[in-house]
Amino acid sequence: MTARLAQLWRSMPVRLALLLVLLFSTVSLMGLAASYAVTQNSFETAIRADLEQDIAGFRAAPNARAVALLVDAESRDADPSRVVLSYITPSGRIYGNGAIARDDEGYHIVSLAEGRAEYDGVYLSLTTPLYGGQLTVARSRAQIEGLRTVFLNILLISLLPTVLVALSGGLYLARRSKRHVDVIGRTLDDLTTGDLAARVTVSPGWADDLQRIGSKVNQMAGAQEAQTQMLRQVSSDIAHDLKTPIQRVAVHLDDLARNLPEDTDEGILLAKAQEEVAGIASVFQSLLQIASVEAGSPKTHFASVDLNQLCETLTEVYEPAAAAKQQRLHSVVPDAQITVSGDKNLLGQMMSNLLENAMRHTPEGSEITLTLSRTQGRPVIEVADNGPGIPEDARDKVLRRLYRLDASRHTPGNGLGLSLVEGVVKLHGGQIALLDNAPGLLVRITL
Amino acid sequence: MKLLVVEDDATTGTYIARGLREEGHTVDLVAEGREGLIQATSGAYDVLIVDRMLPEIDGLTLVKTLRGAGNLTPVLFLTAMGSVDDRISGLNAGGDDYLVKPFAFGELSARVTALARRPQAMEQETVLRAGDLEMQLITRKVTRAGQEIDLLPREFALLEHLLRRKGRVQTRTMLLEAVWDISFDPMTNVVETHISRLRAKVDKPFDRELIQTVRGAGYRIDG
Repeated sequence: MTARLAQLWRSMPVRLALLLVLLFSTVSLMGLAASYAVTQNSFETAIRADLEQDIAGFRAAPNARAVALLVDAESRDADPSRVVLSYITPSGRIYGNGAIARDDEGYHIVSLAEGRAEYDGVYLSLTTPLYGGQLTVARSRAQIEGLRTVFLNILLISLLPTVLVALSGGLYLARRSKRHVDVIGRTLDDLTTGDLAARVTVSPGWADDLQRIGSKVNQMAGAQEAQTQMLRQVSSDIAHDLKTPIQRVAVHLDDLARNLPEDTDEGILLAKAQEEVAGIASVFQSLLQIASVEAGSPKTHFASVDLNQLCETLTEVYEPAAAAKQQRLHSVVPDAQITVSGDKNLLGQMMSNLLENAMRHTPEGSEITLTLSRTQGRPVIEVADNGPGIPEDARDKVLRRLYRLDASRHTPGNGLGLSLVEGVVKLHGGQIALLDNAPGLLVRITL
Repeated sequence: MKLLVVEDDATTGTYIARGLREEGHTVDLVAEGREGLIQATSGAYDVLIVDRMLPEIDGLTLVKTLRGAGNLTPVLFLTAMGSVDDRISGLNAGGDDYLVKPFAFGELSARVTALARRPQAMEQETVLRAGDLEMQLITRKVTRAGQEIDLLPREFALLEHLLRRKGRVQTRTMLLEAVWDISFDPMTNVVETHISRLRAKVDKPFDRELIQTVRGAGYRIDG
């Protein structure tokens, strides 16, 4: 789960969505804060103006006695939760609906609460000396305090849903575009692993840029496939065109052979020439077969192949040949039947190439084992020997067409055996691994 | 036997025709598909040897048309192709056997003979004989000059195959197909090693060799 979240976070659309949400909320919050400040300020100014006006009204009184009476009278009508009046006469008497005594003059924010319900919350007070006494008018700031609640509510009912909607919309879009990007990614993977027919299926719902990338990828894959196809066509055309002349050479040599005794010098030379022609023919044969396997055409007639039987037959076919080279060949085949959908001849050719490689590249007295098993539901074929093996850095190269290790330059073989093996394995959707058998080589094929 | 060769490459066609004539067959050689089809439908041939790639009408179409018209003459396809695919499409079209160029003449000759004799291969025999060798098919006992020979199942099958086709050459690929059901070509000569094991049991202890090697072709048991 965390891994999936981490992966989601790393994807560009998700980052963009989150960034946009963050930007949007910041701007909204700033706007809200600014209008709060402006509104609060104008409320405050209004209260101050009211206070100035109140004070000016009292200033109009002729003396302290009149102020005291005026305060007394007005405070009787006033609601103490809104306005509090206080006049302290020069003689120290207090008039009004609350006593506020201050050392300094001017505006103050005062709290009058102290257990009396009628004085509610915070007030803004203006204190001024008047006729030797001290006059203070205080007006409630409840309106301003209320403003905060109002703005908080605005924040809750407008910004939060917006953020949530934007966030989930962003995530949805991000996941959608991630899916589309994944489609392109999978196609590229398929192309890389050799499936040149892989294409991005662009659906109309895709974003324009992704559609463009998708069709560009398809264009590239198409060009690549056409080129590979052309190369394959050219090489199989060459192989084809050369087969008829080779056939003719073989025919002429055969003709000669019928009239030449085997044991003369000419006869021996002729036999060598015939052998060479057969070798050339087998290289062409292998090249054409690899081309056909790589083009995937044998897939059309795949059928169920009994691998147990195939392994046993091949071991039986090769056992005397191995014994003639003083090598021991045996197979380990499970009792349970293992079948695979495939081409029996190609699978047989594949195993035969592996067995022949093992026999060819190991010395007398070596042991070769053909093992069939099932690992995690998949058939596994292994050919192991205890010969010299292949150095680790050369293991990739031996799968290359016509590649031969320096050590095996002088043993027979055309360097195409393992290429065909790899082609057959790929055709059947399997994997091939060349491993160290310590000592020797272990070829593991997972179908 | 009367044979028809449909092959557009003159060198190969002449060579096949001459070789088969030397073996005592009557051979008609035709270089293109349309003429081949006309010849095949008119003449009574024992085996048709048809190249896959021909001008006018290609080999596959030729054989399909023949089969469609109810002509069941055995057909041996020749081809420069030779992938498994081609082999299968050839056999599906109604071909009976398949030979990939370049081939040795011995292989061609052996396969043509095998095709012509196909129907008789189903004979219900219980004992096969060659010289002083006797094979009991029911009890699966093999004796030579009254001496019992112990054979492994596959050695028995190999000997049986050669005995049933007494006097006819069986090539290595034919033996691989018949005895082991393998129709790909191993590079190593595995058949030779099996034959030499069989010889060690069947021929070595006795003074006359029954299993003959035919140079450039394969093996044969003489009567």
